[in-house]
Amino acid sequence: MNDGNSDDIIHLENVNKFFGTFQALKNINLSVRKGERVVVCGPSGSGKSTLIRCINRLEEHNSGTITVNGHELTDDVKNIDAVRREVGMVFQDFNLFPHMTVVKNLMLAPKLVRKSSRSEAYETAMRYLERVKIPEQADKYPSQLSGGQQQRVAIARALCMNPVIMLFDEPTSALDPEMISEVLDVMTDLARDGMTMICVTHEMGFARSVADNVVFMDEGEIVEMNPPKEFFDNPRSERTRLFLSQVLSY
Amino acid sequence: MSFDIALILDSIPKMLMGIGLTLQLLFLSAALGLTLAIILLLMRISGRWYLAAPTMAYIYIFRGTPILVQIFIIYYGLPQLDFVRDSIFWPILREPFGCAILALTLNTGAYVSEILRGGVLGVDRGLKEAGAALGLSTTHRFIYITTPIAIRLALPAYSNDVISLMKSTALASTITLLDMTGIARTIVAETYAPYEIFMSLMVIYLILTWMIQRSFGWVERCMSRYVREEV
Amino acid sequence: MDALDGWWDDYFWGSVVVAEVFVVALILTILFGLMGAAAKLSGNRAAKAIAGGYTVVFRGTPEILVLLLIYFGSAITLTAIAQIFDPEIKFVDLPPFWAGSFAIALIVGSYATETFRGAFLGVAPGQVEAARALGLSKLQTFVHVRIPAMWRLALPPFGNHMLSLIKDTALIAIIGLEETLFVAAQAIGTTNKPFTMYIVVGVIYLAFSTVITLTVMVLEKYANRHLEIAR
Ligand SMILES: Nc1ncnc2c1ncn2[C@@H]1O[C@H](COP(=O)(O)OP(=O)(O)O)[C@@H](O)[C@H]1O
Ligand SMILES: [Mg+2]
Repeated sequence: MNDGNSDDIIHLENVNKFFGTFQALKNINLSVRKGERVVVCGPSGSGKSTLIRCINRLEEHNSGTITVNGHELTDDVKNIDAVRREVGMVFQDFNLFPHMTVVKNLMLAPKLVRKSSRSEAYETAMRYLERVKIPEQADKYPSQLSGGQQQRVAIARALCMNPVIMLFDEPTSALDPEMISEVLDVMTDLARDGMTMICVTHEMGFARSVADNVVFMDEGEIVEMNPPKEFFDNPRSERTRLFLSQVLSY
Repeated sequence: MSFDIALILDSIPKMLMGIGLTLQLLFLSAALGLTLAIILLLMRISGRWYLAAPTMAYIYIFRGTPILVQIFIIYYGLPQLDFVRDSIFWPILREPFGCAILALTLNTGAYVSEILRGGVLGVDRGLKEAGAALGLSTTHRFIYITTPIAIRLALPAYSNDVISLMKSTALASTITLLDMTGIARTIVAETYAPYEIFMSLMVIYLILTWMIQRSFGWVERCMSRYVREEV
Repeated sequence: MDALDGWWDDYFWGSVVVAEVFVVALILTILFGLMGAAAKLSGNRAAKAIAGGYTVVFRGTPEILVLLLIYFGSAITLTAIAQIFDPEIKFVDLPPFWAGSFAIALIVGSYATETFRGAFLGVAPGQVEAARALGLSKLQTFVHVRIPAMWRLALPPFGNHMLSLIKDTALIAIIGLEETLFVAAQAIGTTNKPFTMYIVVGVIYLAFSTVITLTVMVLEKYANRHLEIAR
């Protein structure tokens, strides 16, 4: 590993990311310890998605180093595969495979990537469906579920790979208000079990009760990173204060 | 001038003698054309220019020229070339049937590969990313995510292309083949009754079109289980 | 290539015929398409049924059959009429130019019917309501809001209809129109170089298709200029 603290499971150093000439990430430094829960917030377009998508290399960073669970992310396909096996991701719009039933969605990756047998994969799938409290939906198609249920399936699908890190990209933003808490409950549960999590969200209640650290991003930079109490009660930067006044104002 | 019902009743069985040839032309070139289309598609999306560029040229040429011209080049034109006459394909290319199959296959292959590509491009990027995030390899993503969804997306356009192909088989009559249209043309040359003969043949083709549409509609419904039963 | 000496001007005039047929048929296609769409959208059940029958028949039967039916059918009818006045007359026909243009316009017009209908329905009702709410009259709304929005939607598929039209002109050679395919057949008669002669036809059609494709691209860019990303 690089010069980061050996407890760090995720380590980003001077990471820059460009889309054409537009710089989406500016000199990002971030360390996350094993078991740490980090919430990332910031205005739309500030680079939050880009940041967590770089961590499992859905986006390639242009300079700097990213190390995840001991693997440095380079062009090396081996490392990318290793990282993706160990990092689960949950998307804003669920991205469940529409042509597969719920349980098939959950079994696909364990079968293909972990080479699990059918029955093993099925057992794992059902175990996690119970964990997200919808085992009875196993044989339905995603389009037959509500948004909250779909997102819980997506979380279960990621968990079936036994990830050591979970990334969440605004997991509740596409949901109707009454479904948000069922998803946050599952996430809180996961946090209690000691999962390392990076979570982009504007659910400040969740951040306050679950996060170890809150990161505020603006215009591709990490402006501020502090434990929630400090972050909410005593924001250092003017930009953070402005942002908080907007999200907390109603 | 009158509408000769007896002639129609007499001619329909005669024309139907050609339906076997029409269907052979249709099914053979549909199957071969689909195979060709898949190969073209894989070359096109391979990301390698030396595979993609010839494919694009091929598609451009075959979609940019009339199929009748393609049939004539193959049937009348190829024998002009010595190396064709000396090749092992000559027994096929000497026969109008082989030429018709070849022309229809080459033509439909170009169209279908574009249809399939449309399906592949229509697959939501988020789904492929979800596959990547789960650690699926590029090949696995293509087989288990992109392909099934792309097929479903391409099906309506593909069904239209099969109908076009069925209509194109009638052009085989221009190179002496006696498919249904070929037989109809000989009957008209003898009886000079274009209305009766051609219109009843049109009805037969309409029934074929309807059957193709029904079959694809059925396949589509089967494949759409997952989108149909929305809550 | 020497074989082509002396044939270039024939090919040129053949190409002019192709272009002429294309223009005539294009105008008729738009006319048939608009009439068909209007009928389908009208409240009149008879008009709807006729337009429905029109699109089913002409999209579901081989192009060559439609062409043969119209050419030989009209010839039979015209001859019968002419013989009433002068029993000596043996054969009167519509010139292949007109019969052919009419036939391919009928065919492509049936596709254009669906395109225009879809484009009309595809205009977001909110746009129309907004215009009415702003106080534009019905006619003003139609001219300033509906038509521009419609033609943006119809342009890409209509581009494909134009390509179909240009390629269908080749079929008219079958009934004796002196276009490029006909020229090639004559040239083959004296030079015995079928491959060369038909390849030239293919190249000519490819050139026509290219021009149409480029024109449509320019028109589309113009129609969608408001969608260009402001940077
Ligand atoms: N694929 C892309 N191509 C070009 N620009 C992009 C792309 N993805 C994101 N961006 C730009 O990068 C910036 C950050 O995007 P993103 O990380 O999605 O922001 P956030 O998730 O904070 O809303 C935005 O300005 C966005 O327009
Ligand atoms: Mg985002």
